[in-house]
Amino acid sequence: MVLAAVTALFPIYWTMLTSFRTHIEIFAQPPKLFGGPFTLDNYRQVLADGQFRASLSVTVFVTVLATAIALFTGAFAAYGIARRQAFLGRRPFEAWLILVRAMPGIVLAVPLYQVIVARGLYDQPIVLAVAYAAINLPFAVWLMVGFISGIAFELEESARVDGASQFTIMRKIILPLVAPGMAATTIFVALLCWNEFLMPLVLADQAGKTLPVYVAGFVTSRTIDYGAMAAAASLAIIPIALLTLAVQRQLVRGLSLGAVKD
Amino acid sequence: MTLQQEQSATAATADSRRPTRLRRPPTFSAAYLAPGWLLLLAIVLIPLALGLWISFRNGSLLSPTSQFVGFTNYTRLLTSPLFWDSVRVTVLISALSLAIQLPLGFVLAVVINRELTGTRLFRSSLLMPLLLTPVAVGLMWRLMLNVDNGVVDGVLQQLGLPAVDWLGNRTSAVISVVLVDSWQNTPFVMLLMLAGLQSLPAGPLEAARVDGASTLQTYRHVILPLLAPVGLVVIMIRIIESVKLFDIIYILTNGGPGTATQNMSVFDYRLGFTFLQTSQAAALGVIIVILLLPMYRLWKRANSQ
Repeated sequence: MVLAAVTALFPIYWTMLTSFRTHIEIFAQPPKLFGGPFTLDNYRQVLADGQFRASLSVTVFVTVLATAIALFTGAFAAYGIARRQAFLGRRPFEAWLILVRAMPGIVLAVPLYQVIVARGLYDQPIVLAVAYAAINLPFAVWLMVGFISGIAFELEESARVDGASQFTIMRKIILPLVAPGMAATTIFVALLCWNEFLMPLVLADQAGKTLPVYVAGFVTSRTIDYGAMAAAASLAIIPIALLTLAVQRQLVRGLSLGAVKD
Repeated sequence: MTLQQEQSATAATADSRRPTRLRRPPTFSAAYLAPGWLLLLAIVLIPLALGLWISFRNGSLLSPTSQFVGFTNYTRLLTSPLFWDSVRVTVLISALSLAIQLPLGFVLAVVINRELTGTRLFRSSLLMPLLLTPVAVGLMWRLMLNVDNGVVDGVLQQLGLPAVDWLGNRTSAVISVVLVDSWQNTPFVMLLMLAGLQSLPAGPLEAARVDGASTLQTYRHVILPLLAPVGLVVIMIRIIESVKLFDIIYILTNGGPGTATQNMSVFDYRLGFTFLQTSQAAALGVIIVILLLPMYRLWKRANSQ
C-alpha cells in the first residue's frame, strides 16, 4: 500500500524537486533524492518567456470558452436524454457520442485540418475551443444525464400542475438541484480541455499555442534544459493536481461513459 | 428491504410515469439535441465525411490538385510494412498494459475496499496521476528515464544493477511507454474495479461464508466471476485507449527508435503531418474507425446487461 502510493507520487515529487535545482545538482551522480540547495532560477526563466505567458492566457481562454460551449449544448442534450423515453434522433445521437469518445483524435484531425485551412480558420483560438467542446461533449452529456436522472420527476410534475412553464421549471427546479453536479462537470470538462494536445498541435501555430504544446517544445528542441522543463511541467500540473482531489467522486462516471452503472 | 427489491420498486414507479413522459410529441423532445447536433455536425460529421472522400483521392499537402484513385490508398496501406508494424505495436501495447493494469488495478481496489486506516489518503495519492496533462507526464518520465542523468538509472546503479537506455532501445522503449501509460491509467482501472466490488450482491458472498470458503476461495470462485462484466468493460476501454494513445508516445519516443513505438495514432499523425500524405492518412483514419466498430457493438451489449 505504501509502495503503491510512493510509486504514484514519486514522479510528481521528483519533477518538483528538479524544478527547484541548479544545473549542477540536476546532473549530480548518484542522484540526490532530497535536499537542497534550491533555486528559483528555472521558474524565473520560464515565467520571463513571453511565449509562456501568451500560452497560459490562450489556454485559459480556450478552456473557459470550450467548457462553456460543451456545458451549454450538453445540458440541453442531457435533459432530453434523461427525461424523455424514445424520440427522433436520440439513438443516433448517443451512437455518435460513443464514437467520438472511442475515436482517436488524429482520425478527426486529418480531415478537420483540411476544412479549417480551406475556411481560413487556421490558428484561431475560438476554433480550437469549438473543437474541444465537440470532443468533450460525450463526457459532459453522460455526467449530466446521471445528475439529472437523480432528480425526482415528481418535482417537475407538481410544478407543472401548479402552472409553471417549462422555462420556469428549468430555472427554478432543475438548475438549483443540479448545481453541484454542474460544478463537478465543469471542473472535469475544463481539466480535459486544459490537457488537450493533439488539436492545438495540428490546428494552430503561434496564436493558438496552448500550454501542452508549449511545454512539449522543451523536448523537441535540440538540447533539453531539464530544469526549465521540470519547472514548466510543474506549472502545468499543479492546478490539476489540486482539482483532481475535488472531483474524485465524479471521475469514474465520466471516464467510463456510462459503462458501469452506479 | 434488500437493494434488489428497492431497485425493482423504483423501476415500478418509473413504469407508472412513462405515459406522462410520452405526452409530448417526439419532435419537441428532439429539439433538446439540436445544439449538440450542430456541434457534432461542424466538428465531427462533416470532417469525417470529407475524410472518407479524401481517402479515395490522391491528395497531399504538397500538390494543390487531386484525382479520384479508387481504393489505391487502402491497398497501398494494407500492403505496407509500416501499417502492419503500427498494428503490431498497438496490439503489443494493449496486451502489455492490460497484463499490468488489470491485475494491479484489481489488487489495489481490493486493498482500498477493505477500508483500513489511511485508505482515504492512499486513494487520493493513487488518483493523482490520473488527470495530469499527458504531455507533462511524458516530460516527467523523460526526466526520470533519460540515460545521461535519469533518476531511475541512478537508483539502479546504486543498487549495483546495470543502467538501461530506456528510450533508446527498441524493446525497452515499448516497455517504457507501457510503464508510463500504466503509471497514469492503473488508477482508472482501480476505480472501475472498486465500483464493481462495492456493487457486488450480498447473497453469494454470504453463501460462500456459510459454506466455510476461505478468503482465497471466495475471491477465486465467487468474486472474480461476478466481476467479469466490469473486467470486460475495462478491457474494452483500455484497448480503445491504446489505439488512441498519442501524447505520451509523442513526448517519450515520438514513435521511435525507428518504428518501435509507432502505434496507429502516431503512424496516422506522421502520415498526415510529417509526410504530408493527406489521402493515405485519411484512409488510415477510415480503417481505424472500421476496426473500432466491433468494439462499439461490444460496448453497447455490455452496457445493456
